[in-house]
Amino acid sequence: MDTLDTLVVGAVAYTANVVPIWEGIREYFADSAVPMDFVLYSNYERQVDALMAGHVDVAWNTNLAYLRTVGLTNGGCRALAMRDTDLTFRTVLVAREGSGLKGLESVRGTRVALGSKDSGQARILPTKFLADAGITFADVSPVIFDSDVGKHGDTGRSELDALQAVLGDEADVAALGITTWQQLQQAGELGVEEVWTSPDYCHCNFTALSSLDEDRAEAWTSHLLAMDWDVPEHRRILELEGLRQWVRPQLEGYRSLEDAMREQEIPLTW
Amino acid sequence: MVSPTVALPVTPSRRAQLSIRLVDVVGRLAAGTTALVPVESPAEIEVVDTWCRGTGNSVLAVHPDAVEVYRGRLSDLDATLPPDRMPGRRLWLYTNFHCNLACDYCCVSSSPHADPRVLDVDTVTTLVAQARDMGATELFVTGGEPLMHPSIAEVLVACTAAAPTVMLTNAMLFRGARLRALESMPRESLTLQVSLDSATPGLHDQHRGAGTWARAVEGIRTARTMGFEVRIAMTIAHRNSDLEAQVARFTGSLGIPSEQLVVRYIAQEGEATTGIRLTRATLVPEVCVTAEGVWWHPVGATDPAMRVSSELLPLGPSIEAIREEYLDYRRRGDVLAASFPCA
Repeated sequence: MDTLDTLVVGAVAYTANVVPIWEGIREYFADSAVPMDFVLYSNYERQVDALMAGHVDVAWNTNLAYLRTVGLTNGGCRALAMRDTDLTFRTVLVAREGSGLKGLESVRGTRVALGSKDSGQARILPTKFLADAGITFADVSPVIFDSDVGKHGDTGRSELDALQAVLGDEADVAALGITTWQQLQQAGELGVEEVWTSPDYCHCNFTALSSLDEDRAEAWTSHLLAMDWDVPEHRRILELEGLRQWVRPQLEGYRSLEDAMREQEIPLTW
Repeated sequence: MVSPTVALPVTPSRRAQLSIRLVDVVGRLAAGTTALVPVESPAEIEVVDTWCRGTGNSVLAVHPDAVEVYRGRLSDLDATLPPDRMPGRRLWLYTNFHCNLACDYCCVSSSPHADPRVLDVDTVTTLVAQARDMGATELFVTGGEPLMHPSIAEVLVACTAAAPTVMLTNAMLFRGARLRALESMPRESLTLQVSLDSATPGLHDQHRGAGTWARAVEGIRTARTMGFEVRIAMTIAHRNSDLEAQVARFTGSLGIPSEQLVVRYIAQEGEATTGIRLTRATLVPEVCVTAEGVWWHPVGATDPAMRVSSELLPLGPSIEAIREEYLDYRRRGDVLAASFPCA
């Protein structure tokens, strides 16, 4: 088998767990047509800079980092692959059980706990969904948690802070990403209930500049997509990264965040 | 994983606090590392356990006031050990402890004066049947000198009927009734493992007694003439490639291939005051039965710290206990390895 040049993937070290994840993925690619290595960044802004500068061939980006790359390159980039779970990401508004809150309109006039300014799921999109329903920050009392800025909400820290505010009666409603909400619920009945769930939107993807050689990109993507849940070694990595299957991107799922960034005038970098 | 307990239920708000802490703390862990999550009641332990099972994580240990959570799934024993090293795959039987020799490094202090502690034939028959049902595919008969067991022929019949058997012997008693007993054994399912520590009498006789080397070599020749497969076990203080090569060459001259040479290093057990120090946590178990109980490994078959149970039968629970304890050591070893960087 002919081997192409090693492809370098950038990822953000939002938790210590990314090290075994990427080491596992690198190992999976070791015998493939396109071996890969990885470089870790402390935040998504540095990672996007590195992709633009050609320091990495591919970046494992959040939805915000992807759209910023699209903006900074004037569309000169492409998404290679996503997790199946990235296709159906949602934001959930939750409140204490018995609050009587149900549906977006019921949130008007309440204290709404929102997460970090760079979190699509906990801040940017819930703000947009409320605005689409005619509810602006003037119509609610926002309680903002700008925790772990730079990680684009990956740590879930600001979502946990928002939920804690609801439990402590410092807020009435908290905006959570669906994965954080599902993880919390694994402990059983929490005394917290869903007020409203957003439509699906897309989350992370592997982003490459358009200049990346097509054959290398396709060879790497095809091998990634071949990871199999039923193979124990693959499954270990898939479980750690929170998916069952890698899939081809579906870009329409980024439309809502793209609109939100324009409406909220979120800059392409900060 | 967690013992059932009767306790007051955890309130939803307390469960929410626990859940937030779990998502936060475990979310920051690397796979294969652990964190302590404080709990205030047995019911909260159940909450943590439920959360772990639902999120692909694991409870490693339960302490009085905290649960040790492991990021990721704990592997089962099947995934951590090759099949031939699975505890219970081999069963060792100390048929007796008395011996015609009194070697200075004997790990179980056998000698002509040792209490025989004989395993009777009926017990052996039941043990090997139960071991086979639990997956045993190799049996090892040792002592003492097994040929001093009053019914060694019946013991070996019971063993070889259950699984291929290796008898460890000093090969010095191949005469009279014992020789006749040996002659009656099936060659295809019984291997004789003879102790030979050196290629010349010096080191062997120093540990085992004057004249023992010559008689052992004579016994090896006799066993081979009788058609038995013979392997050699050499016991030395520490790795010595020259000595090992000398013995390999010598046993080769007796017609025994080098792959049939087993080299063992003296362990600090029994009569040996120097040698490798072994504990249950540092020794891959090989289930061993004596008249006094079930043991972690044959090298420690008189060491109280190595005794798993004083009940010989049924054997199944002891094998299960050894597997579970060993798996726990493996998990903790992995955790330690992952949390003990070199720099």
